[in-house]
Amino acid sequence: MSRIIVVTSGKGGVGKTTTTANLGMALAQRGHKVAVIDADFGLRNLDLLLGLENRIVYTAVEVLAGECRLDQALVRDKRQPNLALLPAAQNRTKDAVTPDQMKKLVGALTKAFHFVLIDCPAGIEMGFQNAITPAREAIVVTTPEVAAVRDADRVVGLLEANDVKRMYLVINRLKPAMVEQDMMMSVKDVQDILAIPLLGVVPDDERVVVSTNRGEPLVLGADSTSLAATAFGNIVRRLEGEKVPFLDLNPPPEDFFSRIRRFFQGRKS
Amino acid sequence: MNSDSSVPNPPSSVAQTIPEPTSVPQVRFKGEGGRLLLLLPSENEITTPATAWADLWQQLKQRLNGGDRFWQPNTAVYLIARDRLLDTRQLQAISEALTEAKLNLKRVYTSRRQTAVAAATGGFSVEQQSPIAHLNPETVGQAIAEPLYIETTVRSGVEIRHPGTVIVLGDVNPGSSIVADGDVLVWGALRGVAQAGASGNSRCIIMALRLDPTQIRIADFVARAPETPPQQYYPEVAYVTPDGIRIISTADFSKDRLELPES
Ligand SMILES: Nc1ncnc2c1ncn2[C@@H]1O[C@H](COP(=O)(O)OP(=O)(O)OP(=O)(O)O)[C@@H](O)[C@H]1O
Ligand SMILES: [Mg+2]
Repeated sequence: MSRIIVVTSGKGGVGKTTTTANLGMALAQRGHKVAVIDADFGLRNLDLLLGLENRIVYTAVEVLAGECRLDQALVRDKRQPNLALLPAAQNRTKDAVTPDQMKKLVGALTKAFHFVLIDCPAGIEMGFQNAITPAREAIVVTTPEVAAVRDADRVVGLLEANDVKRMYLVINRLKPAMVEQDMMMSVKDVQDILAIPLLGVVPDDERVVVSTNRGEPLVLGADSTSLAATAFGNIVRRLEGEKVPFLDLNPPPEDFFSRIRRFFQGRKS
Repeated sequence: MNSDSSVPNPPSSVAQTIPEPTSVPQVRFKGEGGRLLLLLPSENEITTPATAWADLWQQLKQRLNGGDRFWQPNTAVYLIARDRLLDTRQLQAISEALTEAKLNLKRVYTSRRQTAVAAATGGFSVEQQSPIAHLNPETVGQAIAEPLYIETTVRSGVEIRHPGTVIVLGDVNPGSSIVADGDVLVWGALRGVAQAGASGNSRCIIMALRLDPTQIRIADFVARAPETPPQQYYPEVAYVTPDGIRIISTADFSKDRLELPES
């Protein structure tokens, strides 16, 4: 049976689209047939992150209107033929589709794909409802910030109420040095509140931004050996059911001095 | 909890097969003589109509998840919809959620014609009641409702209101709130807002295994969390003293209670 996973967060800008693009690509690299759906109608950018913007002809809206077939709207990735994108319309609002229509679209996709990843818009309004209704599992993305965690918590409650009971947590943009200085929530702090299984921790990394701008997911490009790319790769293996130990992000390898400092702090207490 | 015996003239209510509780701020189950009543808040107790159904749905799911250990399978449920406007699809959803929890929707009671029609259309057995029953003025010496027991994490954005004591088996997260006319007991971490004795009873208490709230209120008294959180947490109780809200460990509280010449 295909797996239908929504990538959601509540708060905007925490890395849903980045996560969708990288997980989609990494799953495809490991031989799964993957469809990623941009459910952010009106503010789409999954196509940008995947570098597929210029190949979009039709979108989900035209499929629903019966103006084209589903396979005509799907954009196949030339670099990775296992991956396909179902784009959202840029010029329509979030009310352009209904939860039932999304369910139908996703249902059709499951016939040809092992994984369907849905990139959810920020917020908890109609667009959110559209994105979560077809899903059977959810990846809740948050950054280690109070406001983001608060919104993620809200989303977890709504997912529970909507019977999406299999949820996993991805903590994005962790800065180990800040956690160490008690200036940022730790992985444990976030877990204490959200209390859902941890799927992965992705460090804050400039190369993520570079890859975003280049339209080339991190796991694909020259930076595929970076810590962030490895973190995404590990998430995919955990999704497959493998037990993968969590990366040691703490302390970052280049930061020799903070290690020394920690050593002395440790001695004091 | 009101022991006042001088209740003024009791309200003249219409005799009914199903008694109507006067205050139902939220979705609530109530056991009664082997059957289970599912009480819906009336239309005017809803604050934001836009999210009314979404809220109602979330509350229902939460109550179902929280209480399922206590119900016998196949218990009959009587839906007391009062003046709530429900369409066939929504009634269907409620019925399915009940079925999933191994409960049986037996009958729908409503005072709205549209809801009655929707229920009949959906194939439910329905009884339309006179709306007069809801217009009863608040009874003065009304007994407090039985405790609401929920077994779940109360998450951000959720508000639980209950005209009695609230017991949570789980954490109460930041951004959520519990408003109880009775006590608030949290078998977990209380990090959100908790209000006990919400209708004015300052003898109500709040207790939690880990009392780390955003704010607590008892009757008209308010207390905030300290600026610097303690190094270690242990079960604590908050209660009202002549100097305001006081927080002590549960162990000390029981001693205090016994010693205090409280009325
Ligand atoms: N691990 C990371 N390290 C550094 N930058 C990151 C990381 N993850 C995401 N970003 C950056 O954060 C920004 C927002 O990311 P993204 O678009 O994926 O968020 P989003 O949750 O999809 O936002 P929206 O709610 O607007 O849809 C992007 O510029 C992205 O490059
Ligand atoms: Mg996005």
